[in-house]
Amino acid sequence: MQHNRLSFTLLWAIGIPSISGAAPTHSDLDNQFTQTVKPFLNRYCIGCHGGDAPAAQFDLRTYTSVDTVVRDYPHWALLLERLNANEMPPKQAPQPSADARQAVTGWVQAVRMSEARKNAGDPGPVLVRRLSNSEYNNTIRDLTGVDIRPTREFPVDPANQAGFDNSGESLTMSPALLNKYLQAAREVGDHMVLTPGGFNFAPHPMLVETDREKYTIQRIVGFYQRQPTDYADYFQAAWRFKHRSLLGKPRATLNSIALDAKLSAKYLPLVWQILEEPATAAKPEVGPVAKLQAMWHALPAPGGDEPEIVRARCIEIRDFLVQIRNHTAMQYTAPKVEGLSATSQPLMNWKLRAFASHRRDYDHTVLRMEGEPEAAVQEMPKHPGLGQEAAFRATILAAKNRAGDLDLVIPAGQRAQVEASFARLSSVFPDAFYIRERGRFYPDDSEDKGRLLSAGFHNVMGYFRDDTPLIELILDEKGKNELNSLWDEFDFIADFTTRTWVQYFFNQSGEVEGHGRESGSVRPSDKAVAAAPVIFGLRDAYLAKADASDNPIAMEAIRDHFQRVNTTIRGVEKMRVEAEPRHLEALLKFAARAYRRPLSQSEHDSILAYYHSLRDKGGLTHEEAVRDSIVSVLMSPKFSYRIDLLETSSKSGKTLATAVPVRALSAYALASRLSYFLWSSMPDEALLARAEAGDLQKPSVLAAQARRMMKDERARGLAIDFAGNWLDFRRFEEHNAVDRLRFPSFTNELREAMFQEPVQFIDDVIRNGRSVLDLLYANRTFVNPVLAKHYGMPAVAGGAEDWVRVDDARTYGRGGLLAMSVFLTQNSPGLRTSPVKRGYWVAKRVLGDVIPPPPPNVPELPHDEAKLDLPLREMLARHRANPSCAACHARFDSFGLAFEGYGPIGETRANDLAGRPVDIQAVFPGGSHGAGFDGVQTYIREKREKDFLDNFSRKLLAYALGRTLMLSDEPAIDRMQAQLAANGYRFTALAETIVTSPQFLYKRSVVSKEQRGD
Amino acid sequence: MPNRTQKSTRRISRRTVLRGAGVTMALPWLESIPAFGESTSTGVFPKRFAALFMGNGVNEDHWGAEGSGAGMQLSKTLMPLDPLKHKINVIHGLFHKRATGQGIHPAQTGSLLSGAAIQKGAIIKAGITVDQMIANRVGQDTAQSSIVLACEQPMTGYHETNFSMAYSSHISWQTPDSPVPNEVYPSLAFDNLFENRGSLRNMSILDRVKGDAEALSRAISSDDKGKLDEYLTSVREVEKRVDGMRKNKDQAEDLAKQRNRPVFTMDRPANGLPEDLRDHARLMCDIIAIAFQTDKTRVATLLLARDLSALYYPFLEVREGHHGASHDNTSAGYERISRFHLSQLAYLATKLDAMPEGSGTVLDNSCLMFLSNMWIGRKHDNTRLPLVLAGGLGGTLQTGRTLDYLKDGDDNRKLCSLYLSIMDRMGIQLDHFGDAETKLQRL
Repeated sequence: MQHNRLSFTLLWAIGIPSISGAAPTHSDLDNQFTQTVKPFLNRYCIGCHGGDAPAAQFDLRTYTSVDTVVRDYPHWALLLERLNANEMPPKQAPQPSADARQAVTGWVQAVRMSEARKNAGDPGPVLVRRLSNSEYNNTIRDLTGVDIRPTREFPVDPANQAGFDNSGESLTMSPALLNKYLQAAREVGDHMVLTPGGFNFAPHPMLVETDREKYTIQRIVGFYQRQPTDYADYFQAAWRFKHRSLLGKPRATLNSIALDAKLSAKYLPLVWQILEEPATAAKPEVGPVAKLQAMWHALPAPGGDEPEIVRARCIEIRDFLVQIRNHTAMQYTAPKVEGLSATSQPLMNWKLRAFASHRRDYDHTVLRMEGEPEAAVQEMPKHPGLGQEAAFRATILAAKNRAGDLDLVIPAGQRAQVEASFARLSSVFPDAFYIRERGRFYPDDSEDKGRLLSAGFHNVMGYFRDDTPLIELILDEKGKNELNSLWDEFDFIADFTTRTWVQYFFNQSGEVEGHGRESGSVRPSDKAVAAAPVIFGLRDAYLAKADASDNPIAMEAIRDHFQRVNTTIRGVEKMRVEAEPRHLEALLKFAARAYRRPLSQSEHDSILAYYHSLRDKGGLTHEEAVRDSIVSVLMSPKFSYRIDLLETSSKSGKTLATAVPVRALSAYALASRLSYFLWSSMPDEALLARAEAGDLQKPSVLAAQARRMMKDERARGLAIDFAGNWLDFRRFEEHNAVDRLRFPSFTNELREAMFQEPVQFIDDVIRNGRSVLDLLYANRTFVNPVLAKHYGMPAVAGGAEDWVRVDDARTYGRGGLLAMSVFLTQNSPGLRTSPVKRGYWVAKRVLGDVIPPPPPNVPELPHDEAKLDLPLREMLARHRANPSCAACHARFDSFGLAFEGYGPIGETRANDLAGRPVDIQAVFPGGSHGAGFDGVQTYIREKREKDFLDNFSRKLLAYALGRTLMLSDEPAIDRMQAQLAANGYRFTALAETIVTSPQFLYKRSVVSKEQRGD
Repeated sequence: MPNRTQKSTRRISRRTVLRGAGVTMALPWLESIPAFGESTSTGVFPKRFAALFMGNGVNEDHWGAEGSGAGMQLSKTLMPLDPLKHKINVIHGLFHKRATGQGIHPAQTGSLLSGAAIQKGAIIKAGITVDQMIANRVGQDTAQSSIVLACEQPMTGYHETNFSMAYSSHISWQTPDSPVPNEVYPSLAFDNLFENRGSLRNMSILDRVKGDAEALSRAISSDDKGKLDEYLTSVREVEKRVDGMRKNKDQAEDLAKQRNRPVFTMDRPANGLPEDLRDHARLMCDIIAIAFQTDKTRVATLLLARDLSALYYPFLEVREGHHGASHDNTSAGYERISRFHLSQLAYLATKLDAMPEGSGTVLDNSCLMFLSNMWIGRKHDNTRLPLVLAGGLGGTLQTGRTLDYLKDGDDNRKLCSLYLSIMDRMGIQLDHFGDAETKLQRL
């Protein structure tokens, strides 16, 4: 035996030079195939792996040369593995000698080495392809800023041989799909909204007027709500400034404190001033400012557990201010005109404007001298009828509210000083910073409010802006400009002034024309209604009416109203005209971002030409033409496909010693490759900037960009698309195999949480540069409230979006990927577990075992565990007693059996559904014993860790390259393994190795005849 | 009277003229647009559905019907339907419970055709309406899956009940978040149908994309060309289908030339809103009629007067606007307003009944539904609604009847049950719609 081995080794050394020496030539290997390998196969293998029904669908007769083996190398890698492990030929079959076995395994390895070296780094055939559904959605999200997900109606993308849905091998196009692309592009186009400066995309379609209002109103209200207007926060900040030394920040300024607390740096000094301005003997502080200062000075100094006391006291001060300002707010009524209702728009707007412009004043008539009796509060009248003044009731309500407020009493002899104090207080503390909503009985909002920004007109639209104190006191220049723009855009987008005017003209102007309160002119005929002569014509009719009442204020109100209407409408018209060229600029910018590279001059020209043809020949409006231009950009393959253009100008850089010609990707193509790998989406500005600067191809720049991008939240795209495909859970959100009557806790929310758990986990590994071994061994996982409950973990507060990390997951039988309920559930057929499917999943997906498909005649097991006569484990044991079944099942059943402590929806359990205690013992491949999740982990750690790492690397590389791996990728895999080991197994090390590999940086460059000009 | 047995009458008579009261508008030139039946096997005709809506209720003193068949008696407001009474059903007593007790006006309107629970406040939430549900199922084969028309511009903003006035302005909703835009311009409604405006726009985009892809294929490697060809082929295929619609029109033009007629110029309604409501309403009905006849669409809604309508009726000698007048809904004036709108249904039904189709008429294959969101405007009472159906829906709907459900109990008088029944007869079987799980009995 010893002798034989020696002689064979010698033969090997002569016939096939060792891999460290000169590589065997192709013909050497071919000769070996004919002389050594083929006879071996014929003798030991073809009996099963041949004939009419080759075992495991692996027909060894089809291989006739080295080339045929190379083409199907993954199968030969499996053959190699089974031969090495002495698993094949099966024990009952004739066995080859060890030498003969080694001759074949040595040859297979030599083929591998030879091929890998010959073409090392070959970028491989990476076909042009459309974006996958997921990439399309992500790209639209990053391009438009809104998550429209237009592919939700698309058919599911098929996966390629490597199991990923991101390659040209599998991503095809069909007329039916193209139609869906057209619908999707239209859908995105429908979200477009023109703005004065360009265009945006709204979170919802912008086709009807009410959509436009919703969009613009929500933006304004959202802006208001983001502003820091809580007085208590300012007092707290002032307190921190006052005690800055004691608090360890002696160099803090009002400005720095405001910034830290996200408060207005403009307003805090005003508040500070009124709190701290010392009273003098000549001018002692009185009235509400004195009270405010007294409360302020009574705040405790830092020293112990005072923060909560300070907060509570600051809230008290705020409440005092809110109340006193509420009690002293100015009140207005609409000017009265005989024959017009008080809610007539010119009059009502005058009233609203009066409120809006006096929010920093106070009503001195509500103060009373000491000893003077309080005016009796009148009985509360009912809400006024339509068209009646609501302010009278509001006034009585206000009087009722302030009855008994001693802060409104002036001590004898101090009227002037107290009034001055009120004036000062009111100028710093307005009765409101802005009005967010109004009802019909404004300012009485006791019964009706909630109409955002509404003017409160009856049965017609109308909005009113009231935010002067916010602008004067809180907002800096930038904030002020932003708010003004939002209001301009409100009018630009929703056209509310014109539409209010048109409604008013036709609906309500009857009040002055004698048709009745809700009737005006006969029919809206055309846009001329908004022309100045029409506006001023109606004004004159109103003036004539008011003139009869001899009310100069009403006259002014009417003049003012119509003037404003006209000015605003003319202003919006002008804005529209001026904006058109900006929309075209925005369109060009949009196209460049959509194409993920700068436009060529001809592209630039043709986009504009298309827009103009739509307007001139197609008869479309400006907005329609911009919309359709956007749709055409999204329909272009330059957007919807991943195309690496042949850049004639790009320097080819270093050449690769591969058998096929290759060239370096252009910087922009590389940027896209990088972003679709790490984000499953388009490049961002920062990445494109590097492409433009021309240094992206530098390995250091590239690696730095990759590191930056992996920290970005968009890396979630990698977690979902890579892991979802690799671990086969990307369609779990549609998983419907669970019997919800038997498992009522399996709700849509739980299903979604199950799906999200591995995404959260892997996202954390990627973004925080953790070890990929954590996927197997970590003691942590992530849960939201519903998942925490499912796992029996301490309750998590909040909603479905609130995820927390659990660092002692093992206590609850979780931690890492293997025991996540998504996999346990997906691999259960509903009313029982499936140790086979679960085990197969571990072996195939996690460890990368190549396991042939089962023969078609395998009997089905009953679907309901409760109806099994024998425990599942015993039924499987019988199955394994059959040697032809055992060959495969012995390799994975054990993992599934060890997970029997988890039920059909991944819940931990002691008994199965038939009430039998579960048994979690298992004998793993190779014979080691273990139990449960721990047992599986120990087995993998001791015996299979390398397989896991190898599999993970291969999968990630295949995903990154968008193709199935080839033998020429083996050196890259080796390098990835080395980098992992040298870098604490961090995910980032793998990704960096990939993005700087030649496979990633180059592209095969097969030039057609016509391109060569032959 | 057209001869119903003559096959050639399936073509639209060139002499058909759209007559509005007071104005005569030249008919869109339609001679060669194939009517239904030329493109499909004879015998099976499409079923169509239309909903006509007027807001704010009717004059309850003059809305009524009794009896069935020849002895059916119609009240004053329904009189315009008298010549067609054997082809209608007057249905009393239906209502939509979720639209009651929520506040007046928008809350009574936003769910009328959907039976959804609508949401007040800043965020609009309604539900898909019966017309859009039908359009989703039967609309793929026609130029437009539905047409949604209105004689009044929508209002936005809020009503004092804090429901959006969008609920008052739209009766047709495709998604819960957003209504279907109303087309108020007859000219644009017309273009959408007969100029295939939507299709032509897509055509133009596909043309452009094709150019893009062709140019691109010169700049990529030969391996990649195969994949891009797949795209180009798909574009060409889709283009071919869209092109079919354009060809229809081109053929019509050619035919006109061959017959030595003046070069084709399609007269369309003038751009802009007709100044007279009577013209406007009739033009909209004409468009629905032609669209149904030529099978350009099988689903239409027409909002004649919205809830809180500001329409004004000097030609009926009513001083108040529509909504104002509805607060005195027993007045003679408001009866005239109600009758004016009901007469639009009569006009459309009569028109469809003059269009032969198979052994019957287009009306016989249609279901036109007229309804309001209230019964008594002055009380904002919507515990029962005025409703009339016209047309036999391809023989599946018996006509010439008065059906009264008022005393059948709330569960047996649901509007949504009626919708389930209509959809069922159009081949759309749902186990529930809105708040109903059963079809309307006795229909």
